[in-house]
Amino acid sequence: MQLTVWTYEGPPHIGAMRIAASMNAVHCVLHAPQGDTYADLLFTMIERSERRPPVSYTTFKARDMGTDTAELLKTRVQETYDRFRPDLLLVGEACTAELLQDQAGGLAESMGLPIPVVPLELSAFSRQENWGASETFYQIVRRVLHAQVPAPGSAPRAPVSERCANRRPLANLLGATSLGFRCRDDVVELTRLLDSIGVDVNLVAPLGATPADIARIPEADFNCCLYPEVAASACGWLERMFKQPTVKAIPIGFGGTRDFLREIAALTGIDVSAAVAAGTSRLPWYSRSVDSTYLTGKRVFIFADATHAIAAARICSEELGFKVVGLGTYSRELAREVRAAAARYRVEALITDDYLEVEAQVAALHPELVLGSQMERHIAKRFGVPCAVISAPHHVQDCPARYAPQMGFEGTNVIFDTWVHPLMMGLEEHLLTMFRGDAEFHDEATPSHLHSPAKARATTPETVSVADSSPAADPAPAAGVVWSPEGERELKKIPFFVRGKARRNTELFAAERGIQTITVETLYDAKAHFGR
Amino acid sequence: MNNFGIPVTLGQPPDGEGSVQVLEDEAIVGRAKVFAVYGKGGIGKSTTSSNLSAAFSKLGKRVLQIGCDPKHDSTFTLTKCLVPTVIDILESVQFHAEELRPEDYCYEGYNGVMCVEAGGPPAGTGCGGYVVGQTVKLLKQHHLFEDTDVVIFDVLGDVVCGGFATPLQHAERALIVAANDFDSIFAMNRIAAAIMAKAKNYKVRIAGVVANRSVETDQIDRFADAVGLKRLAHLPDLDVIRRSRLKKCTLFEMDTSPEVELARAQYMQLAAALWAGAEPLTVAPMRDRDIFDFLGFD
Repeated sequence: MQLTVWTYEGPPHIGAMRIAASMNAVHCVLHAPQGDTYADLLFTMIERSERRPPVSYTTFKARDMGTDTAELLKTRVQETYDRFRPDLLLVGEACTAELLQDQAGGLAESMGLPIPVVPLELSAFSRQENWGASETFYQIVRRVLHAQVPAPGSAPRAPVSERCANRRPLANLLGATSLGFRCRDDVVELTRLLDSIGVDVNLVAPLGATPADIARIPEADFNCCLYPEVAASACGWLERMFKQPTVKAIPIGFGGTRDFLREIAALTGIDVSAAVAAGTSRLPWYSRSVDSTYLTGKRVFIFADATHAIAAARICSEELGFKVVGLGTYSRELAREVRAAAARYRVEALITDDYLEVEAQVAALHPELVLGSQMERHIAKRFGVPCAVISAPHHVQDCPARYAPQMGFEGTNVIFDTWVHPLMMGLEEHLLTMFRGDAEFHDEATPSHLHSPAKARATTPETVSVADSSPAADPAPAAGVVWSPEGERELKKIPFFVRGKARRNTELFAAERGIQTITVETLYDAKAHFGR
Repeated sequence: MNNFGIPVTLGQPPDGEGSVQVLEDEAIVGRAKVFAVYGKGGIGKSTTSSNLSAAFSKLGKRVLQIGCDPKHDSTFTLTKCLVPTVIDILESVQFHAEELRPEDYCYEGYNGVMCVEAGGPPAGTGCGGYVVGQTVKLLKQHHLFEDTDVVIFDVLGDVVCGGFATPLQHAERALIVAANDFDSIFAMNRIAAAIMAKAKNYKVRIAGVVANRSVETDQIDRFADAVGLKRLAHLPDLDVIRRSRLKKCTLFEMDTSPEVELARAQYMQLAAALWAGAEPLTVAPMRDRDIFDFLGFD
């Protein structure tokens, strides 16, 4: 454990709050000290949720520590029940309260309330927010459905194709949560997509579900595990107990969405070839179009939750023609999948919850686009690198009022726009070549949408050492290599969005050959060398 | 010391001399019936545990056996091999326990019995008890106690430290394996004392003694009567049990013979009795000097 000023995930009780805030008719009592109530703001201010999260706190204070905090908890549980009358009560502890050893969950369970009470054991000091959400969702599903589990030896569930011989198949969409990235729109998009192939949605959970809905989960023919960080645990249990199959393909990206449809086809016997062929995605053509050819080979760095990071890497590599130069996640539970994905792009996965490590890697790798969470946006901005947010934790601007899913075919359109615009914004190569003499396209200009203050045009000094001229985001130059004034002037004829790469390659070329001063010739030799 | 760094000096520590342990949630184990098997080193705890696991599985129960001994040889008669331990697996992920999944360290053995070996540091180093505590935590986070009917902890020799007592915080009933000799009865007395200490704060109770590897049970019975213990099963010194270990299998896989039948029947009746609910015993352990005087042939 280390001190930090920012984290990707909160403690696990934040995950429990996310589940409570996602659902209806559920209330959560947290044994927590005064001050932990700050987390409400995540929901009302970042996600612009209309209601406060349904969470009550015991808010013990210093003077309560000398008395019976367990009694305080029981009183608060009773008051909460009387006031909110939920259909299900979650009871857990914030990290500081775990030290009190009041066994909040067990205490509340033994109070004999007339509703299901789900005690949460959140392992505050070894686990984090997504695990807390996953654990809470799993415990709710288990608690509500326990009585329905078929007895051992009872007749096995018929295969999906047999169950759906005379009707449209029913699917559950599991894992969407409050504060998850674009979950609100994803479930709408997938409901439409499934409808188009003749599959009905039985329910979405936890987002918008009541405990009564949870009780209907087994009615569906299969589950779609949309966000494994939250739903994999519950889906696994449903598979073991109810033999309810799980569709595991993540419908993010053109290929991902088609895989999702094919997996459902294999399960249900539905012919999805028309849906797979047509799709309403403009991504494949846009990325092949003449205008987008300059996307090819763009160096991309990706760091996000595992689900979105893996999907983004695939989209970048297979659908947009980018080059994945870095891939990582803070979701340690799914580190294995991210490592496997990274191996496909011949990079080493970065598994960490320390944003400073991420920042160091961005600085070292010199990507031309950064895809990540809110923190990667900060990092990219600091380096003046284009970026887009693809995953939680995100900020208020990533909870747009408009419809902006990430999943399904419409999701691919949203993704194309969101990822390509930071690169483009009128900076296409042919326009730059045409207008590069214009005043607003001077050498030091940065893309206008990145907000970094335009640097004043510097007068060209006699000899420009690399260290002086390289922008903060450039890597340390090879020791001892110096640009001649002519070489530097020639370098500036290269459009600025590829100039960094040209500079690095030339310096590398010079360093490898022991060239001290980079002249115009060195620049063109290097160009010829790397052009081969 | 407690969590706030304040020395605890008031009165007698609640669970035994020199140890102050925080209370763990008693409800965690959910629905599974949890048993912990203790006994002197080499007395046959692993043999008893794995045959008992097999017997429970024969009763149609879903069984999880957890070997809590750095020797990690508790479950090999079920799995037919020495499975990688939780510590081995944790090492492979640089001790980031979050990366682990149950299938990494949980192996299916004979008749569907699930097997876990906690493992431990190399002999003579580190803290084996810590490993047991971490393993239990991991099993809880992976819900392994929740979809199981019976959990059996096979714990090393003696209750040497708080770590190896961890299973007692999760168990409902503790079983002690002993032979009809001085050493194992002497050890049993100490184990009973440790369990009674734990029982003050946890729901664990002593279920009784399994007499193992003994033709007679007179000394065990005399001691049991004196302190309030009860003998639950009796396994004579059968060569077939020795051979089953060499064949790396439970008695339920051995070719049938009168000896095998006798042993199987003992394990089956023990499993059935434990499943039906063993009556909790209140044991009054003897002081070491008293037991020294008590046991003997005069």
